[in-house]
Amino acid sequence: MNAPVKHSADAATVEEGLAIQEEQARFDDDFATETAMSNTLLTPRFYTTDFDELDAIDVSPVREDWDKLIAQMVSDPNKGHFKKNEDWDHVDWDGMDPALKKEFIDFLISSCTAEFSGCVLYKEMKRRGNNDDIVQLFQLMARDEARHAGFINDALREAGLRVNLGFLTQSKKYTYFRPKFIYYATYLSEKIGYARYITIFRHLEANPEHRFHPIFKWFEEWCNDEFSHGEAFALLMKTDPRLTSGKNVFWIKFFLTAVYATMYVRDHQRPAFHKALGVDPDWYAHEVFTKTSELTKQIFPITLNIDHPRWQRTLEALHRANVQIARAKTRGGLGGKLSQMAGSARAAWCFASLYTIPAKKHRVPASTRLEPVY
Amino acid sequence: MGLLTKEIERVPCTVEISHKFESLHAHVRFNDGSVVYPGDEVRVQGPEIMAPFGEIVTEDREAIILRASKLEQLWTRLTGDFEVMELCEFSFSEEVTL
Repeated sequence: MNAPVKHSADAATVEEGLAIQEEQARFDDDFATETAMSNTLLTPRFYTTDFDELDAIDVSPVREDWDKLIAQMVSDPNKGHFKKNEDWDHVDWDGMDPALKKEFIDFLISSCTAEFSGCVLYKEMKRRGNNDDIVQLFQLMARDEARHAGFINDALREAGLRVNLGFLTQSKKYTYFRPKFIYYATYLSEKIGYARYITIFRHLEANPEHRFHPIFKWFEEWCNDEFSHGEAFALLMKTDPRLTSGKNVFWIKFFLTAVYATMYVRDHQRPAFHKALGVDPDWYAHEVFTKTSELTKQIFPITLNIDHPRWQRTLEALHRANVQIARAKTRGGLGGKLSQMAGSARAAWCFASLYTIPAKKHRVPASTRLEPVY
Repeated sequence: MGLLTKEIERVPCTVEISHKFESLHAHVRFNDGSVVYPGDEVRVQGPEIMAPFGEIVTEDREAIILRASKLEQLWTRLTGDFEVMELCEFSFSEEVTL
């Protein structure tokens, strides 16, 4: 931060007075630029896991695929990609519909936080690990996430938003996840992330009039990073068949259901964003689930039956329950509390209903590796 | 570590913040090799840190680690898993309406 500027009335000579005034003007200018930008506090979460278990992973059974994937990540094909070039069109932030602007900025901030949290998690795993294969993988993934976060940050700056890393000097509690939960959740997160980005990218390729911001043009290479990260987690899971068999299949089904349902609910909370893209959120959800299911067949022995008559109906009910909970919270009081409880019970019921739809079983291929083809 | 008591440790740490276009990241490293366990709280002392755009800032600071009690650590290990969904990126905040 700038040191306090001496006031010109304290100057002993005219020269000194002028110098102070000049200094003051420069200070005011910097200050104006900085304060004109609203602060956006990033709030990543902090995790620990069983690092010994992570170190015990032996990638020998998938060594060939592993080395190829790591070599590809080391060669860093996307290194030069995240740069603004002439394709980065001017964005008319002032002319943007306020509802869209709000939702789009929420999208950018959430994406930035997600990339940032991924970076923190991967870096921690890299630092605490002793297994060279694992350490290298997490280092590479942390690199990509930080790069994506930087790119989104730049788009936010253009919109007049400054990220605030104040969380560093605030107290933060470390929570704990079992390694296998990290595999299931991050694997799915990376694969569904790929499916989400590529679906929007292909849609806008066909309908460029809906591309209201240039960042969407970068989604194709962006999601290829997500794809590789997912591949790495698939290979990690492949090293231990117990992770994808027995009672763990119930966990896999739980994660699939939770991830799909959460995505559905969150997307339906952003109508202006989807309208501007010319995307029907129900169509989008189905498209993303179909692609993700196809991809996850590489390692998971089940996929959810998203064409079951109960699926769509229950997702819609879950969305309504979620809206009820939010409204009840705003209302407050005893009535609000009761309505909130009723909403939560409905949401839990919906989730149970989705979870109990019989899953589709299939054989997992001997070779895990896939290439992005969508 | 006590069953119910928390302990406080002060450890030197290095904070690195990159606010560059190529990379936005922030990391805290404990210089003495301290490690955090489930339920521990960490707070870096001193004023807020932020690198100017385009720069990387590295600062030596002191961090306070508030060690979780044995019971709290166990609790965090048992319940932390329920928060695992946070790892998923859905690119929208939890706010239902904006």
